[in-house]
Amino acid sequence: MTITQPRPPHTRTRLTGGVDRAPRRWTLSRTAVNAALILATAYTLLPVLWLLTASGKDTGDLIGGRGLALDRLHLGANLRALAEQDGGIYFRWYLNSLLYAGIGALVCAFVCVCAGYAFQVYAFRGKEKLFGIVLLGVLIPTTALALPMYLVASKIGLVNTFWAVFIPTLVNPFGVYLARVFTAGYVPGDVLEAARVDGAGELRTFWQVGLRMVLPGFTTVFLFQFTAIWNNFLLPLVMLANTKLFPLSLGLYSWNSQTSVDPTFYPLVVLGSLLAILPLIIAFVCLQRFWKAGLTAGSVK
Amino acid sequence: MPHRSNPRSLRRTRHIARRVLAPLACAVLGLGLLTACGGSGSNGTNSAASNGKPVNITFWGWTRGSQQVVDAFNATHKDVHVTFEQIPSGTAGGYAKLFNAVKAGNEPDVFNVEYPMLPSFVSQSGVQNITSEVRGLTSHYLPQTIELTTLGGQNWGLPLDADPQVFFYRKDIFTQYHIPVPATWSEFRTAAQQLKAADPTTRIASFFTDDPSTFEAMAWQDGAHWFGTTGDAWKVDLTDGPTQTVTGYWQSMINDDLVRVEPYFGQQWTAELQKGQLAGYLGAAWSAGSLKSALPSQSGDWAAAPIPTWDGKAATGMLGGSVFVVGKDSKNTAADIEFSSWATGTVAGMRARIGSGISSVYPADPALVATAKNGFNTAFFGGQDIFSVFSSDGSAFRPGWTWGPSMDVTNTAITDVFGKLASGATVAQALQQGQSATVSDLKNRGLKVAPQ
Amino acid sequence: MIRRGATHSGSWGRGGVTVLLLAPFFALFLAVTLIPIGYAIYLSLFREQAGGLGFGGTSQVFSGIANYARALADPAYQAGFLVTATYCLLYIPLMLCAALGLALLIDSTLARARRFFQLALFLPHAVPGVIAALVWVYLYTPGISPVVGALNGIGVPVDFLGAGGALPSVVNIAIWEWTGYNMVIFYAALQAIPRELLEAARLDGASGARVALSVKVPLIRPSLVLTGLFTVIGSLQLFTEPMILHRSAPAVISTWTPNMYAYGAAFDRSDYGLAAAASVLLAVAAAVLSFVITRFGAGRAGRSTA
Repeated sequence: MTITQPRPPHTRTRLTGGVDRAPRRWTLSRTAVNAALILATAYTLLPVLWLLTASGKDTGDLIGGRGLALDRLHLGANLRALAEQDGGIYFRWYLNSLLYAGIGALVCAFVCVCAGYAFQVYAFRGKEKLFGIVLLGVLIPTTALALPMYLVASKIGLVNTFWAVFIPTLVNPFGVYLARVFTAGYVPGDVLEAARVDGAGELRTFWQVGLRMVLPGFTTVFLFQFTAIWNNFLLPLVMLANTKLFPLSLGLYSWNSQTSVDPTFYPLVVLGSLLAILPLIIAFVCLQRFWKAGLTAGSVK
Repeated sequence: MPHRSNPRSLRRTRHIARRVLAPLACAVLGLGLLTACGGSGSNGTNSAASNGKPVNITFWGWTRGSQQVVDAFNATHKDVHVTFEQIPSGTAGGYAKLFNAVKAGNEPDVFNVEYPMLPSFVSQSGVQNITSEVRGLTSHYLPQTIELTTLGGQNWGLPLDADPQVFFYRKDIFTQYHIPVPATWSEFRTAAQQLKAADPTTRIASFFTDDPSTFEAMAWQDGAHWFGTTGDAWKVDLTDGPTQTVTGYWQSMINDDLVRVEPYFGQQWTAELQKGQLAGYLGAAWSAGSLKSALPSQSGDWAAAPIPTWDGKAATGMLGGSVFVVGKDSKNTAADIEFSSWATGTVAGMRARIGSGISSVYPADPALVATAKNGFNTAFFGGQDIFSVFSSDGSAFRPGWTWGPSMDVTNTAITDVFGKLASGATVAQALQQGQSATVSDLKNRGLKVAPQ
Repeated sequence: MIRRGATHSGSWGRGGVTVLLLAPFFALFLAVTLIPIGYAIYLSLFREQAGGLGFGGTSQVFSGIANYARALADPAYQAGFLVTATYCLLYIPLMLCAALGLALLIDSTLARARRFFQLALFLPHAVPGVIAALVWVYLYTPGISPVVGALNGIGVPVDFLGAGGALPSVVNIAIWEWTGYNMVIFYAALQAIPRELLEAARLDGASGARVALSVKVPLIRPSLVLTGLFTVIGSLQLFTEPMILHRSAPAVISTWTPNMYAYGAAFDRSDYGLAAAASVLLAVAAAVLSFVITRFGAGRAGRSTA
């Protein structure tokens, strides 16, 4: 396991002298480190790879265990079946998911940033007690709340409506916490003071100075909430009966339940799953800076 | 003002014209509709076509061929328009969805439940009492199906099918290993042993862990009475003598690894059927359509046989079978009954269902058996006259079986122990669990339970 | 201009703006957290009462704490908590160690292609729980799964969906979903460690592995505590994955976790009082447990910095 070869020169220049002279008996070899990482990556990518190859298979091959095989692909036929099933309801679900997650996360991020900004910038009586309530909200599992929310919603007649799924996603106590941390980091007090000296009102200071400066934090909360809503399952499961209101997760679940009646649903579920994860993967690849920033902010403080 | 009264009076004339014409249309369209029209007049619900537009009703179900039935109904009816929504089968989430809708007050106008679950929906006030609406209709159906849909002396639904239990098997595999088709359960065990000896990777059938309906049908067949009533108290006995016979039999089949122990209609079950690792399936009449669409590559390899008997005398329990019920809050009872009776009690309705090619229900209306038989293509079964197999069974439903008032509780308790069969739990424990869970649920709901 | 700004500021004032900014959040918080909990508590005090054979409709009667007593005395509910506890004991240490280990590996001077590895390991987080569970069921099912096939091929008999395999199978799905996510958190915390500190340790002759374990890990303890807390809260919510596995793995019964118990009580048995009681108990258990962890974790972290 010891490294006997000298380090390549470019590495040497990047490191300071002392490091090179350190005894290397206990260091892992470069190969071992990277092999471990490759192994871990293979584990995380295998199911995604399976999804990729399986999405082109027909029921027989899927159930017959040929999910990973690269031949006998019927991707076109599967796509057509997906588009035609129940009058193209899959795309309706896709649109619903985009609406629930897109608008929900946008509003949620704004609400959180407002509250987080207020907690950070203003002093008022009972502030930390109030913030304690927010933190307590973080501690209550959302799935334990789903059923109580359902009971309230059925009492007031909101069950099986868009709002039953949409409204609960506007609240994220952790987002308020994040927004406060971000405001502390991105919005210097003297800048706000300068705006006030210039005669801007508090609201305008928030709107034109604070909000702009905390925009990276806004994006992070948005991304977090978008993911959470996109992945949400229990809430739509209890709230919705009308398939036209389903988000993707619930739609795919219901199709998967249909496989017991009709095995031709198997390929639809698999292909539908693949298409459903694409937006988030693209978002994560493109917006790396933001989710990394969010994860850091959430953990360091 | 005057210029407004004009269109209104015009509308009224149109309205009156339709009111006059509607019964005429009904008379032309036939018997099934006559009752519907009568019903609408007498109880004052939204009469079909009374406002000039077809009455729109919603229908949820998962029975095979439902879409085709709805399409055919809509194509031939101007007064009622049905919007169909396919939901997952009951135990796969369909009932949860229906109960959810009952609670939320947005039930469909018409939906399907299986016989065992009808009492639960009635006691949860999820379905309408349709006694007066179906008075003239009930005589068409097999008396036992009417018994199962009559609770507390009232009618709660129209039965679609009455499916006897059937043994489906791979004719090619049985022939290859010279295994005779079992006529009794003891022969069934012998056949299972022979099959396993001939091919250690293949089993004769499965014991389903997530759905006790197959087990219940066998207990029914053996003469068990899990539920009954004395006065206004329920009798609950999941461990009576006949049930114990069935329990002991299957426990030893499981212990000796003669059957697979797995969920019904799961991926694993489907995969094993596809690979020939399962040479049989203890299903019911409706299963013929399921097998046919799940295993297109095995067309011609399958055959149906009457369910093995305990004592050599033909008898069977009913496995599955669905009822058309009317949602509690439906405002269109007349239209609901019109559609339900058309779907369950007319040649056209049955022809549309069987014509889908994927349904093989055994009609609850005996007059429609010929329609079902003629409509089902039996190439998958090598041209075998499978409906005759069903008929020989169908005449022998063992009388006296009643479903309990909360089969959801009973079945969940049983399957939660069935799920642990592989880790040492027993079938007998499952039934004890079912017994105690049922009794405590009934008591909790304030129902009387007679001492055993 | 200045004057107008001043009046504007005056009309709203700091107090007014504070209220304005906080109001939307707290209004929503009230609507979707406090009111539902309150209503669930109220409902949990009633039960549906029927008469005769039960076909004549139901009425609601006050039943005090009977629903709580029923839930707590129900072996199925107790077993649900036991399953959750076992799941936590298996999942949390495994996942956190894997996440920390991977973060340290990527943070080590030896790793290549760090951005790629981070992204690839984080990728499962983009897969909704429903889809993750659906895919893993395929990878677990004998006769369908290439993994089971390969393992059987080299003489390793596995039964992911059997009685003994069900819990590890659910744990594996959770590890797959969350390791990369937490790895990124740890990696970010590791990156924030001042480089001079590490170099000083190396100058003292400590190896890479030693630096990692005795310098880096203690320094990111706050991240570990917070991540641990969120993992515990998440674990108590266990629902989606077992719900999907329920149909394929017989051992994952309908009341496998407390959440599934509450769901089943409401939607399989229409016993809303029991469902409400079970939900309330779960929420309380989660809040208490998280509170204990924060206290305990904060105490430890406090001592380490003091």
